[in-house]
This record gives sequence, structure tokens and C-alpha cells, in this order.
Amino acid sequence: MSLSLDIVLRRGAFELSVQGTLPERGVTILFGESGAGKSSLLRAVAGLEPCQGRIEFDGERWQGRAGMLPAHRRPVGLMLQKPTLFPHLDVTGNLRYAARRAPGSAQRWEEVLELLSLTPLLSRRVRGLSGGEASRVALGRALLSAPRLLLLDEPLAALDQARRQALMEVIGRVAKTIPVLYVSHHLDEVLTLGEHLWWLRDGALAAQGEVNDVLAGPGSPLAAHRDAAVVLRTRHLRYEQDHHLLVLALGACEVRVPASGPGGDTPRLRVAARDVSLTLSPATDSSVLNILPAVVDDVRSLPQGQCLVRLRCEQQWLLARLSSYSRDRLGLAPGIRVHAQIKAAALV
Amino acid sequence: MLAAGDTLALWVSVKLALITTVILLLLCTPLAWWLARRVRPGQALLEALLALPLVLPPTVLGFYLLLFLGPDGPGGWLGSLLERPGLAFSFAGLVIGSVVYSLPFVLQPLKNAFAAIDKDVLDMAAAAGAGPLDRFFSVVLPLARPGYLSAAVLGFAHTLGEFGVVLMIGGSIAGETRVASVALYEHVEAGDYASAQRLALVLVVLSLVLLWAVFRWQKKARGPL
Repeated sequence: MSLSLDIVLRRGAFELSVQGTLPERGVTILFGESGAGKSSLLRAVAGLEPCQGRIEFDGERWQGRAGMLPAHRRPVGLMLQKPTLFPHLDVTGNLRYAARRAPGSAQRWEEVLELLSLTPLLSRRVRGLSGGEASRVALGRALLSAPRLLLLDEPLAALDQARRQALMEVIGRVAKTIPVLYVSHHLDEVLTLGEHLWWLRDGALAAQGEVNDVLAGPGSPLAAHRDAAVVLRTRHLRYEQDHHLLVLALGACEVRVPASGPGGDTPRLRVAARDVSLTLSPATDSSVLNILPAVVDDVRSLPQGQCLVRLRCEQQWLLARLSSYSRDRLGLAPGIRVHAQIKAAALV
Repeated sequence: MLAAGDTLALWVSVKLALITTVILLLLCTPLAWWLARRVRPGQALLEALLALPLVLPPTVLGFYLLLFLGPDGPGGWLGSLLERPGLAFSFAGLVIGSVVYSLPFVLQPLKNAFAAIDKDVLDMAAAAGAGPLDRFFSVVLPLARPGYLSAAVLGFAHTLGEFGVVLMIGGSIAGETRVASVALYEHVEAGDYASAQRLALVLVVLSLVLLWAVFRWQKKARGPL
């Protein structure tokens, strides 16, 4: 447990009351609608927003009865939604600003420059940078402040799809060593990056935990969303060159996904609820690649004759979106054994 | 070329303006920062009070300063430290008077410059590990540089052009309180228009060069980067 907080933040009629803990490492997505208080919470953790309560990090008290540790003494790297570079310094100056004030950051200089391809920008003035370039510099500056906790407020907002992908990879890599708290309202980012999820609603954490537990849990923020999905954790088994298929282990089952080459050791598989259909007996004459045995855990009605079925499959959650008509025809209820046909799955 | 004593009067004027400007920049930096960052109760009244020299006739200001600096006011006690009866009619008294008189001209540009600084930029500096003083010197000062230049020039020029207040609290002691504007007034009183012409011209040119330099610099700073 790296960061642990129990705080109350009041701004006029708005009150934010959050109790939460962050895992040792990995990306925790702070998810919620705009106005839910995501940015305020992030700023409170950074020490930029006064609040009441207790904040602890790695056994250090950042906030408590004794007062609050000022922002500049907290080992956080911060990146706001708009890049907010120092306008009187060039790119090198902006990066140095953080590096000079962080002990042991000098060794990371080359590494960060390379990670974010910042070298060609070094002599550029801040005002001439494109949105995407400025975001990279801002992330570089945050990383060069030698953070033990990275706080990111929609860092990819200004980027095009290709750059998003690249930066998400960088953030994922950083998250292997330190915890990252990442504000987002993009499902895409949640499913790609998120290992843990804090779901903020009406000024409180409505749910927190492992991404799938929250996404598939009761009252999931995304249940009614047309892109409702889960992310399955798998293990790499082999790559079948002939069929361009990656074979992954999901518990005792094998899952095949089209891929251009072997991926990592523990690929994550994104499965959308609308891409899962259910049968009572295993279909042996189907073109669907992946048919997995599962047990119905919960059936929830959605508007417009739809329903969302939560399934337990090899100790992981799976969601299926069906019509209420199919539900009644198959007699789906908790405890029923079914076979889930996964029509599409994407590696993330 | 200049009448006897006028060079000395110009020197007193410039010395007074320089000292006043330096004191005001030091004094107004924390004051403007305090006023610019957030609104506090009673702030409007304080700001009105500090802006009074803008609208009051200099003689009113001079009158109160005379009472303040005279032997029966706090100036009497201050003067006793310098072994003189009060600070009225002394260079030190003139400096105090000029500081009050020119304060709004230095305070306002600094306040505007500070208020224009994006709070997020300061927050990012804090997150990057810069403490309050560090932030001030590494971010606030460089970003407020045009404001400091305006403040310095306005403070200097306004003190240089001061007349009413000097007349009330300074008198016309050569080398001590006889500044250029007072010397000019005395030339006119004495009907010596030729000396008045030359002194006036020097003042006009001096002020013009100063302002021209500032406007030129500001245009350059604001231009495309």
C-alpha cells in the first residue's frame, strides 16, 4: 500500500469525501464524469489543494493533524490536463527545472529523453510546440522530478491516436516501478492502462479495486455503456505462425486471438460485452474461435429490451450483452451453466 | 550652459528618484504579491488608501507629510536619531514623501504583472520541487520582468516630476532638497526665463528618452517569439 488517504475537500456546496488506498505500483485510473472532483482529488494528493483528513505515502505522513507537507516536499510527478510549461524557459529549461531540483535525476536524463523522443525538441521554444509535443515535454518534466508517485490528469487529451498509443506505453512502463494515479474519462484508457480503478461519483469513491472487479461489479459505471467491456488476464502459450493466431491460457482454457506476432508474457485481452453471446450447450459447428464454459453470476436488465449478464469464467469476470428475449428463452439465472462465445477480443 | 546650481538640483532630483525607486521596488514586491494573489477582507479599503496619491492634490499630501515629518510628529523622533529636529526640509524627509507619493505608480504595474501569472505554472513549479522563495526567483520574477521595468520607470519618472509635495516638505535647500522642478519654479519666479528654458528642456529630454526606451523594450518583448 503506497498511498492511503481519508480526506474531505469542501468547495462551496461541493464536498468530496474520499477514502482509498493505492497499490504499490501499476496504473490506478481515477474515473468519473466531469465535475465529479477528479482533478481536485489529484491536486489534493499533490498538496496543491488544501483539504481535511489524512494522507499517507510509504509510511510518511503528508497530511494529518500536525498539518500538511507542502507540495514541493512531496515526491510526486505531476502532469495537468493542459501541459502548463514554464513560458519563460525553452524545452531544455523546462526539463532541467525539474531535474535540477530532484536528487539523482541526472542519470535519468538520457533515459527520459529517449523514452519520449524529446531530443529533437530540446532547443525549441515552448510557445512554438504543438499540443502533442507540449504534452510529451510535460510528461518528461514530471518524470525528471524523480517521482515516487506519478499523478496524471488526462495527459493524453491533446494527442492524436498514434501518439496516445505511444505515450500510454511509456506510462505503462513507468507504472512497473511506481504507482500512477491517472485521471481519465476515456474507457479506452481504462481498459488499456488500468490495473486498478477508482470510480468517483457524487464526490465519493463509488467503487475501487481491480479493474475487472469494478467494471463487472454491481453498479458498474459502464454497465449501461454501449462499450461495456472487461479485460481478461492471460498467459502466453504459443504463436501459431500458419494461422496468425496467438494462443493464450485463460486458466485451464485456451484462447486464440489473431495477432501479427507473439506478444508479451502476460497479455491483457479486452472483451466487449456486445461481442459475447451465450449458448446452453457447446456449439461444435461454430466459426467462433473461442467458446468458454462459464457460470451465470448475475443478470441485470438494461433499457430498450437489453440485459447484461455477468459470468464467472476461470476465476475472472466476463460480461455478455443480450436481448431480454434471449435471456427469457434460455432461462438465464444465477447459477446456470452456459458457454460463452467470444466473437471478438483485442489485445491491449 | 545650465544656470549655477541647476546641475546640482538635477543631481538631487536624479538621486532622489533613484533611491525612491529602489525602496519602492523592494517595498511593493511583497505588497503587490499579497494583493494580487487573492482577495482578502478589507483589501478594497487598503487599495483605495494606497491609490490616494493618484487623486489627491500634492499639496494635501504634502501638508500631512509635513505634520508627520515635523518635530511634533513621528518624524521628530526619527529625526532625533539623526540629531536634527524632525525630518521636514531634509533629503531623508523628501525620500519618505516621494515613497508615499509615487507608491501607486510602482504598486499597480507589479500587481498587474503578478496577477497575470497563471497559477497552474506556479503549481507545476511546486510539484517540480521548488519551494516558495525558489518559485519566486525562478518563475515569478522572470515572468513579471516587463512589470518590473514599467514599475521602475514610472516610479522614477514620477518622482523626477514631483513638485507640490517637495515644496511643502522640502523647501529649497541647495544640494539637499532643491530639486530640478523647484529650481525651475524659482527661475520663473525670478523672471530668468532663459535658465528656465534650458532646465525645462533637459527635463523633457530626460523623461522622453526614459519612456521611449521602455516602450521600445516592451514592444520587443511582446513581439513574435
